[in-house]
Amino acid sequence: MAKAPKSSRVNFIILRYMRRPILVLITVYATSMVGWILIPGIDENGNAVHQSFFHAFYFLTYTVTTTGFGELPYPFTEAQRMWGIVSLYIGVIAWFYALGSIVGLVQNADFKRSLAERQFAKRVTRISDPFCIVCGFGNTGALLVRGLSDAGMTVTVVDWKDERIKTVSLRDYRSDVSGLCADARVPEHLIEAGLLKPNCKAVVALTQNEEINLKISVTARLLNPEVWVATQSTSSIHEDTLATLGDKVHIIDPFQTYAKYLGAVIANPAIHSLNQWLAGTPDATLDKVLRPPKGNWVLCGFGRMGHWLREALEAQGITTSVVEPNPLPDDEDLPNLIVGRASQDNLVKAGVRNAAGIVAGTNNDSDNLSILLNARALNPDIFFVVRENRYRNLVVFEAAKVDLIMMPGLVSARRILFLLIAPMMKTFFETLRQRDTEQDGRFIDEVVDHLGSVVGGTQPRIWTLDTLDADIHDHDRTGFQVGGKRGNALQRLTDAGRKVTLEHLMGDPGDRSRRLACVPLVIESECGAQVLPDLSTAVLPGDRLLLCGDARAYNLIDATMHNEYTLAYLMTGKDLPRGWFMRWLFTKRIFTNASEIKTTEA
Amino acid sequence: MNLEKVIFGFFIVLALTLNFGFFLGEIDNPDHHGIVELFLVVVVNLIATGLKLGDRSQMGAVLLATSLCADLQLIGAAVIWAIAAHVSDDGMTPQVMASIVSLSGGALIANVISVTMLVGETLMLRR
Repeated sequence: MAKAPKSSRVNFIILRYMRRPILVLITVYATSMVGWILIPGIDENGNAVHQSFFHAFYFLTYTVTTTGFGELPYPFTEAQRMWGIVSLYIGVIAWFYALGSIVGLVQNADFKRSLAERQFAKRVTRISDPFCIVCGFGNTGALLVRGLSDAGMTVTVVDWKDERIKTVSLRDYRSDVSGLCADARVPEHLIEAGLLKPNCKAVVALTQNEEINLKISVTARLLNPEVWVATQSTSSIHEDTLATLGDKVHIIDPFQTYAKYLGAVIANPAIHSLNQWLAGTPDATLDKVLRPPKGNWVLCGFGRMGHWLREALEAQGITTSVVEPNPLPDDEDLPNLIVGRASQDNLVKAGVRNAAGIVAGTNNDSDNLSILLNARALNPDIFFVVRENRYRNLVVFEAAKVDLIMMPGLVSARRILFLLIAPMMKTFFETLRQRDTEQDGRFIDEVVDHLGSVVGGTQPRIWTLDTLDADIHDHDRTGFQVGGKRGNALQRLTDAGRKVTLEHLMGDPGDRSRRLACVPLVIESECGAQVLPDLSTAVLPGDRLLLCGDARAYNLIDATMHNEYTLAYLMTGKDLPRGWFMRWLFTKRIFTNASEIKTTEA
Repeated sequence: MNLEKVIFGFFIVLALTLNFGFFLGEIDNPDHHGIVELFLVVVVNLIATGLKLGDRSQMGAVLLATSLCADLQLIGAAVIWAIAAHVSDDGMTPQVMASIVSLSGGALIANVISVTMLVGETLMLRR
């Protein structure tokens, strides 16, 4: 609905701009042509001839464009030559004027923006896969888009900074990523980015201004109630408003997320290696274990991050002392508070010499680095968590060899990415922690060992397997038959009365006695979600699986899902006859495994 | 060993080898290309197509497509032969022979693709 005015706007600008040059050209051509027709010429026999309209136009065409084929069809008279000079000069000037206008139009900022908008809108209209809209292409936005594109998701990006949008087209994304330079607060721009399309899956608001994020979230919610909205927020005022928008709006507070995470890691250190490994951090392996110590911790900086961290650490029975440059509001009372900069004196006062861990959590990277150096000098063995606010400082932080680096942008981006491409991951971790507490911290270690032995390596692939094909959903909607002759291998075999289990799907199509390097993390069926399901669990069409495996497993499981012969082999160990004739031959005549063959004849 | 695979493989490969046999020789020399050979090529190719019908896998679909390609060209060649021998007044000229053999050459390519895919699938599965 917003497309028609957009395209006509471009045309309108062109017409507005070119109106006068076109009128000038027409007048000049018309005047010159009239002159050529009126001035008589002489043919080879000396008779007076007038040029026809066609010849006049032909002469002008090659003269005014400075091509110059000569005096056609007969050599000119002197009067004609004089008129030739006049029409050449005025024609060339008219053309220069027209060309200059075109160049001016192309350089016109408004025109360029309209053109870019139209191209963007066209690209968005052509998207047929599910896609996400990301508003804001800063640190967090860029990280999220990278993650989404690695997962094969189409993305449209809206950012008001032109340079940022230019970088979108320069990066080597694996999926289709298109950017629009526009103010995301304007609803029309969100619509151009595809907000109203039925395959728009999510809108993510990641601008640096929380007011704008709120506006985007509200707009998205109101214009498309089906769409899933995620935004980053670090202030409670906005969160209250956002919370009223309903359960499809997710608010990510990187500090709260990180504090909870740190608490969980202190409760069971294996969570950290598991999380890093699942998130695909380069070099992260499952056997690297980091152990944040219990004992007194020093928190430098007591803003939002400090508050959340203190809460999380105290929940783990850890005492904290706080160093904060600004005095706290009167109603807040802390036992171990030192007001002042995190200088060596203040750090000593906070008990850094005997502390087990320290968090440099101010919103200034150079402050955090100086805290790091001061604290190291006082206590070289201290466990260090440092907040890195700017992605470009990463090299410095890595060189400092701190134990944990907290990047708010990365925390938010990862959280949103998991919510978008692997929503079951939340269930997985929640159940994991719960069972771990029930089993005195042994459960997670077992899971890590299991994942390490089956999948292992670095950067595993995490993906959601939807056991119903997308096109089947369509048939469902339009009232066509589901299953039967259509659908994937799982649907057909289930319709034929066979029970397909996870073990069958996880089998190696090359040799069914081996298993693919893949672990089902969660299976979500009608009867609810099951975490780390047993391999004998039945898989029915419509179930959703969260799988973790290597690239080979990813490809082969997808192939198995779409090839009933492979799936039947994995189930029975026998290759079924292919083709009607072979099936007839082997069921009716020679072979005995008729029962197995019959069941696949859907 | 799977008897079904033996039968299937036999016909697919036989279609290729017979096709090659017919194709061999000077392209416009009627003495080098026999009518019986062409008949066998057409028949075996049609049988191979029949065996491929009803395979619901992706591979099966492409195998069937290559077979249909070969059938189309071979039947085309046979029709040209029939017209040259019985309808046209000029009889079997070198030009007509050349077009028959070049059509069978096209079918040969389709058969080569078919066999390559068969071998490829077998190698990929390694069982």
